Amino acid sequence: MTAEVEETLKRIQSHKGVIGTMVVNAEGIPIRTTLDNSTTVQYAGLLHHLTMKAKSTVRDIDPQNDLTFLRIRSKKHEIMVAPDKEYLLIVIQNPCE
Amino acid sequence: TATRAQSGLLEPAGSAGVAVLATGGVASSPGPGRPGPLQDETLGVASVPSQWRAVQGIREETKSCQTVSIATANASAQARNHVDAQVQTEAPVPVSVQPLSQYDVPRLAAFLRRVEAMVIRELNKNWQSHAFDGFEVNWTEQQQMVSCLYTLGYPPAQAQGLHVTGISWNSTGSVVACAYGRLDHGDWSTLKSFVCAWNVDRRGLSPRQPSAVVEVPSAVLCLAFHPTQPSHVAGGLYSGEVLVWDLSRPEDPLLWRTGLTDDTHTDPVSQVVWLPEPGHSHRFQVLSVATDGKVLLWRGVGAGQLQLTEGFALVMQQLPRSTKLKKHPRGETEVGATAVAFSSFDPRLFILGTEGGFPLKCSLAAGEAALTRMPSSVPLRAPAQLTFSPHGGPIYAVSCSPFHRNLFLSAGTDGHVHLYSMLQAPPLISLQLSLKYLFAVRWSPVRPLVFAAASGEGDVQLFDLQKSSQKPTVLIKQTQDESPVYCLEFNSQQTQLLAAGDAQGTVKVWQLSTEFTEQGPREAEDLDRLAAEVAT
Repeated sequence: MTAEVEETLKRIQSHKGVIGTMVVNAEGIPIRTTLDNSTTVQYAGLLHHLTMKAKSTVRDIDPQNDLTFLRIRSKKHEIMVAPDKEYLLIVIQNPCE
Repeated sequence: TATRAQSGLLEPAGSAGVAVLATGGVASSPGPGRPGPLQDETLGVASVPSQWRAVQGIREETKSCQTVSIATANASAQARNHVDAQVQTEAPVPVSVQPLSQYDVPRLAAFLRRVEAMVIRELNKNWQSHAFDGFEVNWTEQQQMVSCLYTLGYPPAQAQGLHVTGISWNSTGSVVACAYGRLDHGDWSTLKSFVCAWNVDRRGLSPRQPSAVVEVPSAVLCLAFHPTQPSHVAGGLYSGEVLVWDLSRPEDPLLWRTGLTDDTHTDPVSQVVWLPEPGHSHRFQVLSVATDGKVLLWRGVGAGQLQLTEGFALVMQQLPRSTKLKKHPRGETEVGATAVAFSSFDPRLFILGTEGGFPLKCSLAAGEAALTRMPSSVPLRAPAQLTFSPHGGPIYAVSCSPFHRNLFLSAGTDGHVHLYSMLQAPPLISLQLSLKYLFAVRWSPVRPLVFAAASGEGDVQLFDLQKSSQKPTVLIKQTQDESPVYCLEFNSQQTQLLAAGDAQGTVKVWQLSTEFTEQGPREAEDLDRLAAEVAT
C-alpha cells in the first residue's frame, strides 16, 4: 500500500516541468512532500485556505455544483490543486513557454 | 527809590498800569506844601506776560488696565471599576510534515488513485499549451520613461570644483550620501572636502541643502553606508585613512577612525565595504582596499579607534599563474587594488579589481603568508586564488551578480565591460561601452540580466542582456558638457531609483521605467544559460 502511494507520487513528480509535489490533509497539514519543510508548510497553509474559499465560491453560485480542480498561473510557474474530502494534492509545474 | 517822593509829578507821565500797582501804602501826604517823610517801601512784583510765548505744559492722563481674573475650577474623577487582563504569547509550534499513520495509508492510496489520471492529464496539457504565450499582466502603473527625480548638489563643494567620488544609499533606502573629492589631480591632500546626505523621502527636500554635511580634512574617495544602521557611513580618504561617521549627530559625527599608524594604507583608499563579523552576524567590520596592494579588515574598539583585525597583501609573484600577464614580476612588486566586490552567495569570497587590469578571485580564508616587507601589526596573507584575463587598462569597478553565484562584471579604463564566470579565466562577454574610461558598473538588484555603467563621456548606460547583448537599452545623459560620471548605485529598497554622481559635483537621482524594476518570466533561467556558456 505504501509502495503504491510512493510510486504514484514519483510518477507525478517525474513529469515534465514539475518542480514539487505534496499531499495535504483536511486540516492543512502536509503529509507527503518533495520540497523542503518551510516551503511545504507555506504552500500547504496558503493553498488549503484558498481551496476552501474556491470551493465555497463554487457552491454559493450553484449549490448543485462543486469544485473539481484549481489552477493558479503566475509569472514563474503554475500551481495545480486536486481537492478531495480528506486530502489535497498540490503540484507545482514550470510550464514550457 | 525816588518813585514815591514826587508822586504828584509821576502821575501825568502816562503810567496807567503802574499806577494801579502802586499800592497806596503811604498816604501820609498831608497836603501840598508840607514834605512827607522819605520812606522805603516795596512794591509788588510787576510782571509782563509774554504775548508770543506759551507755556509748554505736559498733558497727563492716567489709564490702567486689568486682565480678567483667571477662572479656576476644581473637579476630581475617580475610576471605580478596573479590570485586570494578561496577554501571553506562546512560541508558535513549528508545523512540520507529519508522518503518515498506519490507518491513513489505504485512504491516501484511494485518493491518489482517484486524482492521478486527472492531474497527469492537466500536466500534459499544460506542457503543450500555448494559451498563455506572451500573456502578461500589469499590476503596477507602468512608467515608460526614465526621468530625473532630483538634482542634488552642495554649492560650497561645487565652488571648489570638487567631484562626486562616491555615492551610497542607506539601509532603509531613503537617504543618499555622496562624498566629494577629486579623482584626477595628484596631490590634493590639503583640500577640505565634504560628505553630504539628502533624505529623498522627506517632503521638504531642498536640493542645494543637504540634511547632513560633514567636513573632512582630506579628500574622500569612497563611501559605504552600514548595512543595518541607517545613519552610520564609512569613508576612505586620500590620506589612506578610513573614517566612520554617524550622520544623526551633527555636532560631532566622527565615530571611528584608523588614524595614521603603521597599519594604515599608504596610498589613497579605493573602496570600503561593510562585512558581517564571523560569528556575530549583527556586528560589522569595515574592509578597505587601496592601491598600495593591501586589503585590510578593521573593527571599532574603545574610544573611536579602528583596529586592524586581519590583513592581506597582493604581491606580484604570489599571484596564481592562470593567465599570462604582460608584466614580469620583479622582486616584491605590490599590485594596487582599485575595486572590491563580495559574492552574495559565499561571504568569504571576493573579487578584487587591480591596477594591472586583471580581476582576482580571493578568499578571506586564505592562509598563505604574503611576501611583503610592509609593516603591520597582524600578519598579512596572500588572498588570491585565481587570476582572470586582463582588461586593456586598470579596472575601476567590479560587481558580483546577486542572482548567480559565478558571474561578475568588471569595467575599466579601456572602456570595456567584461562579464566573467568565476570558473574560467577568459571573460564570457566583452562589451565596449565607451571610447573613454568607464568608472562604475553595478548589477541591478531586481533584474538578473540588467546592469548599469557610468562612463567618462557623461552618460549612464543601462544594459538589458535579455533585449540586446550589443547596445545599451537606455542611455541617460547626466552631464551636458560630457564631464564624466564617476559613481552610481541602485537603491535596493526603492528599486526604481538609481543615483549617479558626476564631475560637476551633482548627484542625480533617476527614476527607472517599470521594465527595469520587475523581473521577466524567464530571466533567472536565461542568466543560468548565460553562465553555462563556459568554454570547456
